[in-house]
Amino acid sequence: MSNIIETRLPTGVKDFLPVKAAKLEFLQSALYQIFHRWGFQPIVPAILEDLAVLELGLGEDLREKTFRFDDRQTGRLVAFPPDITPQVARIAATRMHDMPLPFRLCYSGRVLRHAEQRLGKDREVFQAGVELIGLDSAEADAEMIAMTVEGLRSVGAQEFTVDIGQVDFLRGILDDLDLDNHDIALLCAAIAAKDLSSLKQLLEDLPLSDQKREELLTLPRLFGGPDVLDKAAAAVRNPKSLRALENLQQVLDLLKIYGVEDFITLDLGELRGFDYHTGLIFQGYLSGFGRAVCSGGRYDNLMGRYGFSTPATGFAFNLYNLLFALDRELIQHAAGGTDILLVSMAKDKMPAQRLAVTLRQQGYSVAREMLVRDRQASLDYARRLHFRYLMILPEAMDSLLLIRPGDGQETKVDLNAVEEGRLQL
Amino acid sequence: MSDYLTFALPKGRIMQDSMELFAKVGVTCPEMDNPGRKLVFENARDKLRFMAVRAQDVPTYVEYGCADLGVVGKDTLLEQGRDLYEPLDLKFGYCRMVVAEPKALSQDDDPAGWSNIRVASKYPNITERYFAAKGVQVEVIKLYGSIELAPLVGLSERIVDLVSTGGTLRENGLVEVETIVEVTSRLIVNRASLKTKHRRITKLIGDLEREVEEAPRISG
Repeated sequence: MSNIIETRLPTGVKDFLPVKAAKLEFLQSALYQIFHRWGFQPIVPAILEDLAVLELGLGEDLREKTFRFDDRQTGRLVAFPPDITPQVARIAATRMHDMPLPFRLCYSGRVLRHAEQRLGKDREVFQAGVELIGLDSAEADAEMIAMTVEGLRSVGAQEFTVDIGQVDFLRGILDDLDLDNHDIALLCAAIAAKDLSSLKQLLEDLPLSDQKREELLTLPRLFGGPDVLDKAAAAVRNPKSLRALENLQQVLDLLKIYGVEDFITLDLGELRGFDYHTGLIFQGYLSGFGRAVCSGGRYDNLMGRYGFSTPATGFAFNLYNLLFALDRELIQHAAGGTDILLVSMAKDKMPAQRLAVTLRQQGYSVAREMLVRDRQASLDYARRLHFRYLMILPEAMDSLLLIRPGDGQETKVDLNAVEEGRLQL
Repeated sequence: MSDYLTFALPKGRIMQDSMELFAKVGVTCPEMDNPGRKLVFENARDKLRFMAVRAQDVPTYVEYGCADLGVVGKDTLLEQGRDLYEPLDLKFGYCRMVVAEPKALSQDDDPAGWSNIRVASKYPNITERYFAAKGVQVEVIKLYGSIELAPLVGLSERIVDLVSTGGTLRENGLVEVETIVEVTSRLIVNRASLKTKHRRITKLIGDLEREVEEAPRISG
């Protein structure tokens, strides 16, 4: 009888074994380096929140996706955050409001969201992101996008686009439609799907002015390069949309200074983004990968919900999506993790331990082979676990043998040379 | 690889119709003239690739980004509710999603009085949504084919199915009582592809749009 214990995971969550986990670790640290270089300071929010408090910052979209349960100590409902931005907003508004603005904060952590299971969608999302709180300028919007591009480059993305939208542009068009909610929902669904055919059909029957009709009909095709701004400007008349276009133009001009304009596309018919978004929003897409790898945007009203009104913007990378999209490119950061597996042939293990200490002080990563097994077995182990070298300290302890597990190539090394720091791997 | 535009097309008639339409805007694949058992066809000169898949699988290939674009019936899109762009009604493959029932039942049946009814369908989601919107409780019985059989043998009182001419319904003694939605084939696009390949895709959508607008509407 084999002893198979069924240990299935709930759907939508994953374990990551060493190679993939090393890639995730690289993603996290590479992005954090960028965040720090732009002057963002780390913040670590709590893993649980009081549901009532958390919900102040959540729109209907995220509320429905929140994991919630009873707190036995208080009988109140508590929740795992489905998004970190409202948490940072809470902390900034309630705990940091005496400090001078603006705040530049960064975080990385995992959130949980109820998701439709049918598509194997993730319920667990690993994010690394930033929040820039207290600024409403186009310069702040541009900073977020420039950082996104820099972040994507730093993790090895080659072909990608950061796709920019503007919530206010859409609101300017949708705001004063004299229609009931059902009709507006149908219009929005057609616009979100860029379904011009259905939109035309819907508009035939709705009592709207020709100007409104024309504005609505341009939305499904307002995506692509910078020429989209001209098309949009020609189509809209309302002041809110025109102001939104002005903001976009300023941001695009600023992005030229960073030399990232080639990575930018525009989509003014994009209805995505969370309920709390207000102005410029954006999402990052890698060529050949169907889902967004990062998203963000302005949320000028969210801080106010926690009692401290100030404009803000931010974004977060989805590390799992980045991992799947860049799996092959990331191999160089995961393979050959440890430099040396150190084998001692002598009974007395003290010299080997001393050698390991020396090598680690020199900056090498070293694991001691503590099992007593033959050389081939040690070599196989080193190969399977991606050690760069197997190092054998012979019983005589007069020299060292270095073996490359990949091709079995052997080199003899003088023990004194190693102790004097002249080993070069 | 990623400089290719990849299409997922449903095997059969819709694939033919699609390629005929695409040919009018310069999107062709000579390799497809002798298909044999191949499932993937390439036009290396124009950097185009075509995959022949089951109609119900077209949205999956496109949503996951294995294909940038696809052609699929609105019925499949409504049933599956995927996260896709569907920029264009290609206006072929016309049919209707209808509620049908045996002729005998229909003679003194009033849809306004429906309650607790059993409905057989290949489209459980569409069926459920349609009746829920009317406030009617239904027990949906999912079948994979020959839906017309269900009322004849007492599996359900009514069915929800696609009809084009209505011939099959008539032959089985069924009549249409309500039309849920009119269905045509749609061009669908992956979210990321629309952004990362916007130049080629925008041009294609524009070209197809002009072609479809000019063609007279075919209805069946």
